[in-house]
Amino acid sequence: MLWQQLVNGLTLGAIYTLLALSFSIVMGILGILNLAIAELFMIGGYFGFTLIAANFPLPVAVLGGMAGAAIAAMLIEKIGYQPLRGAPVVTPMLSTLGFSIILQNVATNFWGSDPLQLPDEYLGRQYTVGPVNIGQMQLIVVGATIVLVTLVAYTVQRTTIGRALRAVAENREVSRLLGVSADRLTLFAFALSGALAGVAGVLIALHYGAITPYLGVEIGLKAVAVMVIGGTTNIWGALLAGPLIGVVEVLTVAYGGSQVRDFVVYGFMILILLLRPQGLLGGARSDQGQRV
Amino acid sequence: MILSARGLQVRYGAITAVRGVDIDVAEGEIVALLGANGAGKSTIARAIAGLLPFQGEIAYKGEKLRPNDAERNVRRGIVLVPEGRGILGRMTVEENLAMGIYTRADKSQGIADLKRMQERFPILGQRRHNAASLLSGGEQQLLATARALLSKPRLLLLDEPSLGLAPQATAYLFGVIAETRAEGLSVLLVEQKARQTLKVADRAYLLETGRVVASGAAQKLIEDPVVSDAFLGGRG
Repeated sequence: MLWQQLVNGLTLGAIYTLLALSFSIVMGILGILNLAIAELFMIGGYFGFTLIAANFPLPVAVLGGMAGAAIAAMLIEKIGYQPLRGAPVVTPMLSTLGFSIILQNVATNFWGSDPLQLPDEYLGRQYTVGPVNIGQMQLIVVGATIVLVTLVAYTVQRTTIGRALRAVAENREVSRLLGVSADRLTLFAFALSGALAGVAGVLIALHYGAITPYLGVEIGLKAVAVMVIGGTTNIWGALLAGPLIGVVEVLTVAYGGSQVRDFVVYGFMILILLLRPQGLLGGARSDQGQRV
Repeated sequence: MILSARGLQVRYGAITAVRGVDIDVAEGEIVALLGANGAGKSTIARAIAGLLPFQGEIAYKGEKLRPNDAERNVRRGIVLVPEGRGILGRMTVEENLAMGIYTRADKSQGIADLKRMQERFPILGQRRHNAASLLSGGEQQLLATARALLSKPRLLLLDEPSLGLAPQATAYLFGVIAETRAEGLSVLLVEQKARQTLKVADRAYLLETGRVVASGAAQKLIEDPVVSDAFLGGRG
């Protein structure tokens, strides 16, 4: 029972990790919470779901979800963030909140407010390893997350564009003096963040076998909690906090009941904010500013 | 002339920091901008680099520069090492140097230059895996200068490079600046340490409250008693 819950928790935690990483990338570059990410996650899920329903192969559906959410994220940056860059931080955040509501409205009107279900045959086979049953979709979710996180880590740490991204995050003016187009890098950060949210959306739709326009609110808020717990100034905090929260949540539901699930997760977030505001991996000080 | 500014005016809101300044820098020349705090020296350097809006005209190799166009100016060959060094403290020394070749098309040559730079300044080679924030002030200035040189500038703008440095580090740095002349680089050097700066500069402009009040060959300015009393703290 415990092992089964751990596997289920790690699967959920993988989704949280991807989504928290998506929040962290924009937070690290711009210092703002892009509230539309939760709905980009949902939109990505719908794009993927639609492609699956149209009998496209799974990799195409995943890429479609990523691309759809990335394009939506770039539009949000162009329309809702770039013109407000000089404004106080709360202004672009409110703008992303507006986009979040619009995206949910678009999804409701386009796909309807009732949940869409994946056909049973699509949920794949189950494997039994000792006392644990692992679904094919769980393996895909965890495997895809490991691959994507590795790719993001490699891009940010080892490539020229990743270095430029970190330069913009650390000091926008200095990065301009090195020839880095900070505006273009900001757009790239939004696109990368959107792509991660999109793929997380497709994966959660596969994991649950269903999707609704309200999926983003619940999971998205949970991902914000994961980002805070991991450390908003360190994107790698999500790697630790995602699986941790996934496992804690599943164990809470299994042994304490679903009615206390959110109490435990958000209570943990508040505890972290009070005792270690920089998060688990946020460094020794909370005032270090942005980081990617 | 590699750089010509005519009637340069820069405002911060209601405050005019630079008032109709004319400046020329020739190929391979080291030109100093000297003056007290608030004279407008750094503002001029930042406007030329493309970090500030300005009025008037700045021409680089005969081409008019647009205000606030820093990214493109780097690609043109205008590189500013800002006041406070502008190192990326969370990156390693080597990553900072790698950012110096960000705009270069000849990446493999750039990587070879990066290695040569670590040999030219061995302390940077020894500390290449350290976070740049862990370097001393003098080492950070050296890193910022080396990074700027790696982007192959034709016009190097150095804003108060000796600020906060010990005399020995300052002397070493001024030696490095003098070496750049041999490499054919043009340098616009913003400084408060006037006497030391005039020893490495070919020409200088002396600024007060956003205006040029004197200019000429560095040696002549050192010998001018009026300039010496006003800017160099008397004959020394």
